[in-house]
Amino acid sequence: MSTHATAPRLRRPPKPMTCWKLERLRMTRTPRAIALAGTYVFFGLLGPVTAKYLQDIVNRFQSGVQVILANPAPKDGIANYISQISQTGLVVVIVITAGALTFDARRGLSTFLRTRATSMWQLITPRFTVSAAAAVAAYTLGTLAAWYETALLLGPLPPGAMLEGLLCGSVYLIFAVSVATAAASLARSTLGTVGIALGILLALPLLGMAGPLHAWLPSTLVTAPVALLGSATLGGYLPALAIATISTPLLLTAATFQLKRRDV
Amino acid sequence: MVATAGLTRDYGGTGLFDVDLRVPRGSVYGLVGPNGAGKTTMLSIITGTRHADRGTVEVAVPRRQVSVCPDVPEFDGWLTAFEVVDLARSMVAPERGGDDVLAALRTAGLGGSARRRVGGFSRGMTQRLGLACALIGSPRLLILDEPTSALDPAGRAEVLSLVARLRGRCTVIFSSHILADVQRVAGHIGILRAGRLLYQGPTQELIDTYLRPQWLLRVAGDPAPVLAAIRAQPWATRVEHLGGGELRIDAISLDAGEHGIPATLAACGARLVSCEPLAADLESAFLALTKDSR
Repeated sequence: MSTHATAPRLRRPPKPMTCWKLERLRMTRTPRAIALAGTYVFFGLLGPVTAKYLQDIVNRFQSGVQVILANPAPKDGIANYISQISQTGLVVVIVITAGALTFDARRGLSTFLRTRATSMWQLITPRFTVSAAAAVAAYTLGTLAAWYETALLLGPLPPGAMLEGLLCGSVYLIFAVSVATAAASLARSTLGTVGIALGILLALPLLGMAGPLHAWLPSTLVTAPVALLGSATLGGYLPALAIATISTPLLLTAATFQLKRRDV
Repeated sequence: MVATAGLTRDYGGTGLFDVDLRVPRGSVYGLVGPNGAGKTTMLSIITGTRHADRGTVEVAVPRRQVSVCPDVPEFDGWLTAFEVVDLARSMVAPERGGDDVLAALRTAGLGGSARRRVGGFSRGMTQRLGLACALIGSPRLLILDEPTSALDPAGRAEVLSLVARLRGRCTVIFSSHILADVQRVAGHIGILRAGRLLYQGPTQELIDTYLRPQWLLRVAGDPAPVLAAIRAQPWATRVEHLGGGELRIDAISLDAGEHGIPATLAACGARLVSCEPLAADLESAFLALTKDSR
């Protein structure tokens, strides 16, 4: 062992490792990206199929009582997708985000990162951004899959309303990732972070039951992709979009402040 | 290089209490103490990963030139050793290149494992990787928490040799419960016990102060003249004949014995076989010091 070890030459210098590349590798070298995309695409393909063949499925399992369902409309394909993904997809997003942000759960790793980072933002920004981007990408893939299959099985969907729905769903997911980031500043473990984040996100719709608050809560955006295919307009979702957009940087700032103060 | 004043972190009776640490620039400073003495808390406060309840910490170099290796380094297992050190490089020394990363890995004894994923590393290899990460930025202050705790004897010797070579070029603070390691490389020492600094100063001074200077002397031929000559010396407090040519000599100080014994042997024409200090090590001094403080 020598402090002046002769530096071996690199044949082909790899791209430098940075906090951003670290997060990209976290997604691609572990099953995270596949789990995320797989979940959304699976339900994207399943939603329209179940809408199309729901009558057949019911007929197969009915006993005695005959259930007659209305003929499925194109909107039902997306409604099925959103109802199935709104909870399962959210759980996967939160677990993956929490895994990236709970570096304080391992003291050795936390010391390595904290004593080298120039600021807490240097650690938080790539983790938040890559998690949010991956969640939006997976959601977009799932929506495109549902859209394609709905068009194939049930009929065409209005592109304008679909894109508006995609926007609302994406803004909600980014908000959800920021909630998970804030939760990581309150709990050290991944499990604790997931619990706090899901608790907050699942409590929001309950809060929305209190009449006038409903339109302002980010949770309203979850069902927007379905409602926008009906009579709803994007204007009705502007308050929720505004709150989600404003809350995200505030939650990140609060998380960064709290993580900076925390003892390892 | 590092100075603390009245540093206190109270975890309800344990922690650190009024610690005034003084680490000279360019020195290797050994922080020793039993488990729970407050060593890791002390180092964590210096590195900024924990906060003190009271007191101040002054570090005379910019934060980017302070490098830390915790007692149990941990990394994302899906990264290669090269990528881990390269990440450290990009954060503390972005001006350096990939060749410096390989050099740091080689210095830490991991030159052949650069492309291996660290999830499969043993604890000793992970500790070496932590050391490579700590060295990559050529820090001016290197803080090592129990750097040899997971290493085999050969690995320990290599790391200690590396630390010793850093003396003068970089200030090193390293904690250890292996006192022989500290004695081997640390010119200065701080002894913590129950969160309080019992001693701080040059390692040799501690040994000199807290040891009863004692030697085992072996001479060829009749030991009686040597016995009589040494008993007549003013610095000799006790001389005992152990049988054969063996004598145990107590002196008033290490210095007096180290000078007086050879001179007396020469004066009486004795044939020397061997002369070795008894228990003249840090462990004995540490035990004497911690016993005194109880």
